[in-house]
Amino acid sequence: MKFTVGHLINKGGTLRWASSLANRARGGFRLHRLIPVPIATTASFLLPHPSATWKRFFFLRLVSWLCLFNFLTEKMAVLGFVHMAFQAAREWHGIQQFPAATQTKLIELLAKLKQENVSTLTILVMGKGGVGKSSTVNSILGERVATVSAFQSEGLRPIICSRARAGFILNIIDTPGIVEGGYVNEQAIGIIKRFLLNKTIDVLLYVDRLDAYRMDTLDKQVLNDITGIFGKRIWNRALVVLTHAQLSPPDGLNYDDFVERRSQALLKYVRLGARITKLEYQKIDIPVVLVENSGRCKTNNNGEKILPNGVAWIPSLVETIINVVISGGESIRVDQKLIDGPNPNNRGKLFIPLILAFQYFFLVKSIQRAIRNDVMNENKPLWERPVERFDDE
Amino acid sequence: MACSAPRQVLSFALCSAAPPRRRSPSDAVSAVHISDLSESHFQISKSNHSPKSSRNKALLLYTATLSAAAVGSEFLFHFSSTLPPGNTGSGGSGGGGGGNGWGGSGGDGGGYWSRFFSPFMAHAQEERADSGAVWDSHGLPANIVVQLNRLSGLKRYKISEIIFFDRRRNSTLSNASNSLFEMVSLRIGGIYTKAQIQAELETLASCGMFEKVDLEVKTMPDGTLSLVISFIESTWQSADCFRCINVGLMPQTKQMEMDPDLTDREKLAYYKSMERDYRRRIDRSRSCLLPHSVRKEVTTMLRSQGKVSARMLQKIRDKVQRWYHDQGYACAQVVNFGNLNTREVVCEVVEGDITQLSIQFQDKLGNICEGNTELPVIHRELPKQLWPGSIFNIEAGKQALRNINSLALFSNIEVNPRPDEKSEGGIIVEIKLKELDQKSAEVSTEWNIVPGRQGRPTLASIQPGGSVTFEHRNIKGLNRSIVGSVTSSNLLNPQDDLSFKFEYVHPYIDGVTDPRNRTFRASCFNSRKMSPVFTGGPGVDEVPPIWIDRVGFKANITESFTRQSKFTYGLVVEEITTRDETSSICTHGARPLPTGGLSMEGPPTTLSGTGIDRLAFAQANITRDNTKFVNGAIVGERNMFQLDQGLGIGSNFPFFNRHQLTVTRFIQLKGVEEGIGKPPPPVLVLHGHYGGCVGDLPSYDAFTLGGPYSVRGYNMGELGACRNILEVTAELRVPVRSTHLYAFVEHGNDLGSSKDVKGNPTKFFRRIGHGSSYGVGAKLGLVRMEYAVDNNSGTGALFFRFGERF
Repeated sequence: MKFTVGHLINKGGTLRWASSLANRARGGFRLHRLIPVPIATTASFLLPHPSATWKRFFFLRLVSWLCLFNFLTEKMAVLGFVHMAFQAAREWHGIQQFPAATQTKLIELLAKLKQENVSTLTILVMGKGGVGKSSTVNSILGERVATVSAFQSEGLRPIICSRARAGFILNIIDTPGIVEGGYVNEQAIGIIKRFLLNKTIDVLLYVDRLDAYRMDTLDKQVLNDITGIFGKRIWNRALVVLTHAQLSPPDGLNYDDFVERRSQALLKYVRLGARITKLEYQKIDIPVVLVENSGRCKTNNNGEKILPNGVAWIPSLVETIINVVISGGESIRVDQKLIDGPNPNNRGKLFIPLILAFQYFFLVKSIQRAIRNDVMNENKPLWERPVERFDDE
Repeated sequence: MACSAPRQVLSFALCSAAPPRRRSPSDAVSAVHISDLSESHFQISKSNHSPKSSRNKALLLYTATLSAAAVGSEFLFHFSSTLPPGNTGSGGSGGGGGGNGWGGSGGDGGGYWSRFFSPFMAHAQEERADSGAVWDSHGLPANIVVQLNRLSGLKRYKISEIIFFDRRRNSTLSNASNSLFEMVSLRIGGIYTKAQIQAELETLASCGMFEKVDLEVKTMPDGTLSLVISFIESTWQSADCFRCINVGLMPQTKQMEMDPDLTDREKLAYYKSMERDYRRRIDRSRSCLLPHSVRKEVTTMLRSQGKVSARMLQKIRDKVQRWYHDQGYACAQVVNFGNLNTREVVCEVVEGDITQLSIQFQDKLGNICEGNTELPVIHRELPKQLWPGSIFNIEAGKQALRNINSLALFSNIEVNPRPDEKSEGGIIVEIKLKELDQKSAEVSTEWNIVPGRQGRPTLASIQPGGSVTFEHRNIKGLNRSIVGSVTSSNLLNPQDDLSFKFEYVHPYIDGVTDPRNRTFRASCFNSRKMSPVFTGGPGVDEVPPIWIDRVGFKANITESFTRQSKFTYGLVVEEITTRDETSSICTHGARPLPTGGLSMEGPPTTLSGTGIDRLAFAQANITRDNTKFVNGAIVGERNMFQLDQGLGIGSNFPFFNRHQLTVTRFIQLKGVEEGIGKPPPPVLVLHGHYGGCVGDLPSYDAFTLGGPYSVRGYNMGELGACRNILEVTAELRVPVRSTHLYAFVEHGNDLGSSKDVKGNPTKFFRRIGHGSSYGVGAKLGLVRMEYAVDNNSGTGALFFRFGERF
């Protein structure tokens, strides 16, 4: 039997690098050495064919990562930080790669967040495949955490990158594209759901391309499924990110108009896909942010990457995110209940006796009455009717 | 293996279906006489009473014996005997002698004439060859009138012509459709002896139709005879009133012979007493079923004519009798016309009152025996129109036959009306039943040859399969039964697929005599079906099938309100196991991935998640069906409500309310005349089906969309599996010759409830959850051939389906 674990390889590869780096950074090697072999073998048994040695390697790493994880969680549980279970973050070095202006801006923004008593920010990045989710993640962090491949989908494993800076922790969860073969891939969604279990999502970035001109039912499906995972309230904490923003719009349109129309079209689909009524929609304000991840992105005098309209997009994106965090209601904690969704089997169960009574008194009784009427009004053949006798006058 | 399968063939012997019985020539006349008795009823004795002298005379009549014979077993032939008795009978005598006779005697006379009438000769010879040459030539010169008594008593004459000659009007009637021809049992082309012809004349003379009747025999050149019946018709004073009285079960008035030596005064007194008697008879008689419309018609007939003639009475009789027979009162007879020569014609009718109902059981040899079946079981199947006190109606008889047959207890059922010897005009309804064996068992075996490797069957691939069925019917004579069957397609490993069913049926739980018709049924069953929930949508590769095995026990009570409307309620306890292709228990559905692998994280197959569910629930179903057939097209309405109510007993304590309401209307679009062979009307069928479930819903109980009984044009379950379902259909049926063509539009919708099924099988297998289709089709016997276009893909396909959609 083929198991789908094979598909994990790519993203798994990513994780391997990430985790080993993480281990190395905080002496994970030692931890690794401490892991007793039997555990590793037991763990490998969980997989159907852990034949490839690198796979085994990966699992050993995974186990070590988990051990570290558990260790930290225990520590933190004591300290009362359970929900920040994945805070095994390392220092955000990537920020240093940004131009000075951007750095200042970002630090400013983080400070602002800190003022609001927020010390962690978890960003979930979702979208169709090939729209630039991983690139955006890399751009935000200023590091190459997620592998980006031009032509290939990356597999089905989400990754989480945690970076700490000045007591502030930034988590970004990159997810695989959830479209496969023209359909939403429930399997991918399932994996994402399980990955997000017991995590708190502060912001959702729904990523699509600016240079896609058409929307179809698939977009609606994708949005519908995303809403299905978190519920409608996620859109209070969401922003739409349009990548490939450095483009020259089609003839006769200026850039801002084009962006406006594109974002309107997309937002309309968000509304439809998420089944948000117009009334509700007025209360929700989903910001649209433009992003250009390409290395050829124009820069301004300060060396900041800018869009065709001259906005430096990284600070702008982070600013929007932070605004959403500050203004947009509660963060979403993903627990088992949320993943399973409301159990349709339990809905209305209490009303069953009422329904039953209704059925008996209104349906069954009325049908019985109708039958009685039928019997009375039956058009019987002449011989079956009561005999009529005629006397002569 | 021994096969002891008593195949019971049910034969319905309703008497009217009996073929006309062959009669020998000697009793042909009498038989026809009996069957045409009604004609001979007005035996109007002209010798005694001339029309002028006999006023208010009840002109009579028939005898008891004749009437008994007529309404009894023979009345059947009354309708069916159309063959000329002579023809059928003549086969009995040797053909050789007849041939010789013709050759000898006819040779002289006919030989000469044959030169002139050679075409006739040829014709005669042909006929001779056809009928086996069993008649004799008259041997007399052609075209002469002979006295009847001058005919030879030994010869067998062929009659080629019968002519009625009305002396009063001086006109000849040779039209065979004339009512007078019914009077004669002689038929053109028939072969008769002199005695037969004479007897015929006597019958005619005594039948009352004629004041005077003579028979002349004319010789024909081809050796046959031509009969000329010259007559003076009886007539009476004109009348303008018509009265119909029911004289059934009344003693017949006796014809009092009048002493010819009476004085005028005595005669007057005699007539007076006769008149008084008759008045009394009218008073005592009961009223008739004959409606006013027919009476009016008759009155108009009477008024339009001057004198009441015999032929007129004959017409009235025919009219009255036809009405009775058309209504199914097969035993009704006009026995007499009384009160003639007054302004009122009194028609005396025996309607066929049932005096007795007798039920007899017969053994295999047809001897009367004691039956095992309790009589009330049969009594309750009989329409009340068959009970004493009613008028015998052939339709009631047929209904009784059908009802009794539906008991499935008898191999042969006969419903016969028989004349009651004890009371005149009374009918005894006799029901003869041959019981089926109470116990039967059947074993059948079969070999399944499964192609092995390279498609060739091997020794190991030959599997013996078989089934054992046993039946114990009619326990205690109350139609209770136990039926069981066990089937396996592989007797060597019967545990692989052993299907069984045991059922106990206990009818009349309120007592046999209680009109309430409730039946208790208990059964053990198992079944294996492929679940349409785990079916791929369009564009999804083959989805591995999931088999739903059910083993359980069911007990319910069915109350029948009418033949079609019923209410069933009961309890079901079952264990459901879901299996995959390899027969191993599976817990989740699977779907092939584009990579060729299988995604195993499909919707859960069971409520418990283990692949095995055990549950008990209550089940009720009420069906209201008042459909009927109008010339073969179904018309009416049918509503059904079905409810499965979970009781919280079983795996995961399932508590649910699963309900379905089906409404179907068959709307007749055009009024048509009803009758056999008439075209059926066009019918519009509107159908709606709503189903819903609140509470725990395992995948195997989800409603599926698509399929020949849901949305045509799609495969079973191709559109989705959902918690709530709505299907609407319109179908137009247009009769074409003996069958019908139809066009339909259908739509099925999950009402957005697919996501409320655990695991969302609709989405998992990439189905849409709704769909429409339209198409046309034709009914070919049992098979429906239809071309359906589905609106999702826009493609059409031709389907062949068994059975009806609605």
